[in-house]
Amino acid sequence: MLDSLTPVITEDEAALYDRQIRLWGLDSQKRLRASSVLVCGLCGLGAEITKNLVLAGVKSITLMDHTDVTNLDVVANFLAPHDSIGKNIAEASKERAQNLNPMVQVLSDTEDLATKPGSFFGEFDVVVVARCSDKDLLIKINDYCRSSGAVFYAAGVHGMFGYMFVDLNQHNYVEEQKEFTEVVVNGEKQKTEETKMVKRNESFLQLSAALDVDWTSPKYSSRLKRISAGYFIMHVLLEFHALHHRLPAPSMREADRCELLTIKRSLLAKMEVPEDKLDDAFAELVFGQVSPVCAIVGGEVAAEVIKAVTKKDPPHNNFFFFSTLEDGAGIVQCIGA
Amino acid sequence: MAAHVSGIFPTSIQNSIKSSKVLVVGAGGIGCELLKNLVLSGFHDIEVIDLDTIDVSNLNRQFLFHKQHVGRSKSQVARESALQFCPQANIVAHHDSIMSPDYGVTFYQKFSVVMNALDNRAARNHVNRMCLAADITLIESGSAGYLGQVTVIRKGSTECYECQPKAAAKTFPGCTIRNTPSEPIHCIVWAKHLFNQLFGEGDPDEDVSPDSADPELRDQTQGDSTSQNGSSSQSTAKDSTTNGNGSLPAANAAGNVERTSTRTWAQSHNYDPQKLFSKLFHDDIVYLLSMDKLWSKRRKPTPLTWETIMAQQNEESEDSSDGVIKDQVLWTLPQCLQVLSTATAECSKRFQALPSGDHLVWDKDDQSSMDFVTACANIRAHVFGIPQKTRFDVKCHDSLDDGSEFRVVADAEQLKKIQDSASAETPAATAADGQAGDSDEDIQMVEADESSPSAKKRKTSNQDSDQPLKKPRTQREDDDVVLL
Ligand SMILES: [Zn+2]
Repeated sequence: MLDSLTPVITEDEAALYDRQIRLWGLDSQKRLRASSVLVCGLCGLGAEITKNLVLAGVKSITLMDHTDVTNLDVVANFLAPHDSIGKNIAEASKERAQNLNPMVQVLSDTEDLATKPGSFFGEFDVVVVARCSDKDLLIKINDYCRSSGAVFYAAGVHGMFGYMFVDLNQHNYVEEQKEFTEVVVNGEKQKTEETKMVKRNESFLQLSAALDVDWTSPKYSSRLKRISAGYFIMHVLLEFHALHHRLPAPSMREADRCELLTIKRSLLAKMEVPEDKLDDAFAELVFGQVSPVCAIVGGEVAAEVIKAVTKKDPPHNNFFFFSTLEDGAGIVQCIGA
Repeated sequence: MAAHVSGIFPTSIQNSIKSSKVLVVGAGGIGCELLKNLVLSGFHDIEVIDLDTIDVSNLNRQFLFHKQHVGRSKSQVARESALQFCPQANIVAHHDSIMSPDYGVTFYQKFSVVMNALDNRAARNHVNRMCLAADITLIESGSAGYLGQVTVIRKGSTECYECQPKAAAKTFPGCTIRNTPSEPIHCIVWAKHLFNQLFGEGDPDEDVSPDSADPELRDQTQGDSTSQNGSSSQSTAKDSTTNGNGSLPAANAAGNVERTSTRTWAQSHNYDPQKLFSKLFHDDIVYLLSMDKLWSKRRKPTPLTWETIMAQQNEESEDSSDGVIKDQVLWTLPQCLQVLSTATAECSKRFQALPSGDHLVWDKDDQSSMDFVTACANIRAHVFGIPQKTRFDVKCHDSLDDGSEFRVVADAEQLKKIQDSASAETPAATAADGQAGDSDEDIQMVEADESSPSAKKRKTSNQDSDQPLKKPRTQREDDDVVLL
């Protein structure tokens, strides 16, 4: 199944990755071992995704961020030391990321995502964009990834809310299926279980289509009731960024809370979605980054990246939402035209 | 940290975090994540307790530990690493068992909340009871492979950890393990018992010698079972040490004549691997063959001799094993014998270096112990015509895990009783062959539940037909995947 270029797993790797090779198999480990990942945005979420993928044993990971470490960063990004405040956060996060697993190549890039040409993304198998609420930029990077063949993830954590968007374009994968047969052993009937690998395919939408939904259409007006409120929180935050070129700030909590509610009302009106679809309480919850939420969303993103790279098991298609508004449930929904 | 920066949390949450004191029980995969999340959220008063030391196989997920920490106390290194995320935090580490009497009700009452991040049921039960007694909220968690779960337990408000019966332990009749194995797992369990008989805590229920009280032997005679069977075939046993000699009293109900004989025998033969081999894989097998009734409908086992096997050695060609890790190569029989020699020498050396009365503790991450068990399981599998397993596969068996709930019962009737008492329960859809990390014998969410336990099982349609993973909440009855 794997070509001859696939690196051989060494005994050192086998010892380190013992538990996970038992879980997903040697072939999956080899595929991980051959993959290059770009993580943009070294916020708490970016740090979680980085930790999880470095531990899993990818070939290389590039930490990209053009901003400097602030006191808000160090309460969420555990890779950036406290004495690095004021330094570039991608560089500041590199050493601790590397310490997690010496067998992974950890690189840093201090340039702005917005300045990168399309060809840049061709160097990666996986592109994960965290901490980017610029909708147009996200749509542009998604396009670049489609043309270069990289899988694309956009994810964000805002206070106690988080989301992930996935575009795997056309994704082929295998899924284990168990089959039971009866055989006779030593005169006794016994059930034996056989695991078969079934090939499957799934198509994904681009972010532009996933964000552009006609809620008055027959398909979506009937679905609206069951759509996660997280989808609309995400829209409000993207709109907040479009208007103010920043995220809601803990230091301006009350003013920004009011602004979030104003945006919610106009945005939902424009979408022709009833106002009560999104409880006003959301505007209390989206400040800064809360570490446990970064861990939950970062865990989902990394697990999805591992599924995509190893081409094993059904991926989430195409959104994941988490918020304390919805009983602390994580919700996977496919939304888009 | 988040609670120390105003504006991130609503004020009430911020204040609760700042004034709380919390206990984390276990510094493994979940414990490491918890400590990070707690200090970053702004919990500054934390105690962590773990008995374990760091092993290289922990490093792929217990991310507070790095290679240079292997061998050190988990709780202490976890404390040091977590302090780097928040130097102002006050973290107390205990390298100790939470079940020690030092941690009584007053210890628990110091905390606002207790979090369990354990890997075994005994400790979970203990902390559960302590929290009930101390009237402290317990957050109980576990993970196995791709699955995980978390529950809040509070006296008077929720069920406790022990309210719901757990799935019955997996059980094998002792006579299957000792006399008539038919599957690889029977040989693996036998080999682990052998390890414990020779070097570990010799449990009388884990005897490895032939069982002359096998109920199959009395099926047709219907006579009084115990004393008769105990001596029925003894005259045919070549090696008197196998099941006692002719002058020993008759077997007890479990068919054991002399319970500690295996270790005593091995010690008196100075753990000579060839002699051990002859006893286990030749003499005991010859003895088993003498119990004709066992073999009327079964393939007979084949006694082996060391010399014959070693003579084959040169005839075998080296197989190529490119791209396969050493653990995944199936050992040939001569290789098994070589491994048995080396591993027996190493384990007996370590065992004999201990003070009298002390013993080795089973650890599947220990090279020699795993080698010993794999070699013995495969040699026994060969004797009984059962497919052999690689060291990798053997290690996968959760029967080898710490705190495992595998048990061997004396006979089939006893097994039936246990199974009946756990009657209505569907067998656990266990994650046994998929444990990535802190394998958890008693994790509940993998057990009987009409909904699919895993995200892997969901449908993949783009329409609204996706099934919820767990029992859906009422308002999402027919909605997409809900990861509760
Ligand atoms: Zn109870």
